[in-house]
Amino acid sequence: MNNPCPFSMRHAVKKDGAAAIELRQLSKVYKGARTPALNGIDLTVREGGFFGILGPNGAGKTTLMSVLGGLLKPSSGSVWINGQDLQRHRAAIKRVLGMVPQEPAIYPTLTARENLEYFGRMQGLSGKHLQSRVEACLEIAEISADADQRVEHFSGGFKRRLNLVIGLIHEPRILILDEPTVAIDPHSRALIHQRLRELHAAGISILISTHYMEEAEQLCQEIAIMHHGRILVQGTVGDLLAMQRNETIQMQLTDDPPEALIRKLQQLPGLQNAFVSGRCVMVTAERPDEVAVRLMQTVHEYGLGVHSMGFGASSLEQVFLSLTENRAEK
Amino acid sequence: MRQNLFKLAASILKEARIIGRDRQALFLFFVMPVVFVLILSLALRDAFGERPGASFPVLVVAGDRGEISSSVIQAFRSNSHLQLTESEYASEAQVRQWLIEGRYKFAVLIPSGAMEQAKRRIGEMAARVPKDLLMEKPVAVRVLADPALRGDYRKVLEGALSLALRGVEMRLGGEQLDQILKTTLGERHVPMPDMEQTPVFAPVQSEVVTRERGDPVPTSVQQNAPAWTLLAMFFLTVPLSVSFIKEREQGSLFRLQTMTVPAWVVLGGKALPYFVINLIQMASILAVSVHVLPLLGGDRLDLGHSPSAILVMGASASIAAIGFGIAVAMYARTAEQAASFSSAVVMIMAALGGILVPKTVMPPLMQDLAVFSPLSWGLDGFQDVFVRGGGVTQVMPEALGLLAFSALCHGIAILRYESRI
Repeated sequence: MNNPCPFSMRHAVKKDGAAAIELRQLSKVYKGARTPALNGIDLTVREGGFFGILGPNGAGKTTLMSVLGGLLKPSSGSVWINGQDLQRHRAAIKRVLGMVPQEPAIYPTLTARENLEYFGRMQGLSGKHLQSRVEACLEIAEISADADQRVEHFSGGFKRRLNLVIGLIHEPRILILDEPTVAIDPHSRALIHQRLRELHAAGISILISTHYMEEAEQLCQEIAIMHHGRILVQGTVGDLLAMQRNETIQMQLTDDPPEALIRKLQQLPGLQNAFVSGRCVMVTAERPDEVAVRLMQTVHEYGLGVHSMGFGASSLEQVFLSLTENRAEK
Repeated sequence: MRQNLFKLAASILKEARIIGRDRQALFLFFVMPVVFVLILSLALRDAFGERPGASFPVLVVAGDRGEISSSVIQAFRSNSHLQLTESEYASEAQVRQWLIEGRYKFAVLIPSGAMEQAKRRIGEMAARVPKDLLMEKPVAVRVLADPALRGDYRKVLEGALSLALRGVEMRLGGEQLDQILKTTLGERHVPMPDMEQTPVFAPVQSEVVTRERGDPVPTSVQQNAPAWTLLAMFFLTVPLSVSFIKEREQGSLFRLQTMTVPAWVVLGGKALPYFVINLIQMASILAVSVHVLPLLGGDRLDLGHSPSAILVMGASASIAAIGFGIAVAMYARTAEQAASFSSAVVMIMAALGGILVPKTVMPPLMQDLAVFSPLSWGLDGFQDVFVRGGGVTQVMPEALGLLAFSALCHGIAILRYESRI
């Protein structure tokens, strides 16, 4: 259940910064659920880093965000934020953490200014400091002109922008965003991207979950791909693309491979890594052309056919799809 | 702590703004309950026997067929507002039962041998027997009354009875004087008996007959004003719980959970505005019952003698209702579920607690079950003040019961809120 991810690039991550967020063997099983929503997650977000979590719907991204926000208790494992254990220093961690939930968590019948003032007060701000933060956030979101309009009259993009800046009202050191640009207009998306880059440049550690590949590719330094509560692969965008581009063979089998075949594939000479997900086999090797022949032979020995075979990947989306598509179908 | 109080104030302001911008909700909170009280108090007035010009069934149990009985019967028969029934043999227990059943509003019990007793007593008085040594006691003509009979009507009936008895008294005194004058000689002076100091009849004082449980029957307005106040308060649990769930669905409640905001601030910020709404509801319903209802031909609600007791009951009932609403909100999954569940439970508690149907007309089993409804405790508390003239001490058991119910609900809600983290 808690096997290390076969494609983990964790060790390639530079260790020159302290960890803003560190998860160790984190699992979450909902009451009555047969499968865990999170299954042995290991993840490190460096201080000042910009980390993206990619995954299809149901991968466990929102559960992970909820655990990080202190909304859900993990079933096992540990969560360290800003060098402190979340379970033991919840209040201290909440002060440095800014959460931006997936859906705009705002009061529709209040104005944008009233929403910011309210959440600012809930973060312990008051007086002139609160007012200056409210004005700053309105400017960051570029909604100053509509600050005194009720939020219920806002477009989806305006709501998302307000949702983002409410998470910034108390100037957090770590920002966690759960799919912040879902279903919004290109202008608002571009603005949110721009603001996130500025925040990152200002030294704020950012963890973002998204299912937009280009968003992750453009914004994030490091990426983890989640599926069925597990992290399938983790590393920098460059690492992931390189892994797929030159040294990777993807093979679709005609049937599910038996355990014995999987074990044999993993022991084939010349292989660096082998990952089997359903009928999809993905391997990395220094000489993929030689390994491909051995792979075909081995598969045929077990009476299986090869539906398709390809070498390398050219985009993060292809990496993502090759890792998750077959599992999703299954 | 100081910072949390600021957070609480901000939460209250936020909630007040949200409620204040919902015009439909404001209409439902304040106008509907007042309209209900007006309509029902007027519509049910006849059911509570308060129709102006109505005639009252009165029973005279003439255990003695002498002059006392005939004088009383004659006095009552001359009043067109009284439906007089005479009986010779009904027992006191039977009469009490008839009053409880509402068959009679007022009953006069004349004991057997009353006339002879009266004559003996006046004879002793004429013989100048010292007051302390009088052998014969005053004749006790007893009066039993339905507590639902308006107090002013009861006093009128008591007055009529007193006059009738005083007439008999005077006649007996005169007869005695004549007798003495006949049996004495010459110009010897015989003073009249001093009937002021040594009355022939005991003072007329009616006893309010209560049910076995000791619950007086309230009038229409005494029933409806507190009942609909309580129902309005408990129905506020629907918008309260729905608003909580909407916040959860919108994510703002979860956002608050990611901040350093204690559960009591979140719950208090939500509850206190609704508490104020409840008190305004109560004040408006009582004001209408006192000032508007009489203008429409209904009875004026007598608020009793203890405004503080009314406040204690209103505050306790509101706190109980809010606790229930918050507990529902914590457990319901959707706004629809919260709305349907809380309104169904409130209606059941209202039916059971004598809000929809007065407890006084319920059979004994249903009256026993009413004890399980917090609305019944609230109604009892208000009626302690309005019907029985009680004060803070008298309403304390009901108020404490409501507060205990609220504490239980709030405790469950806080546990649930915390357990979600």
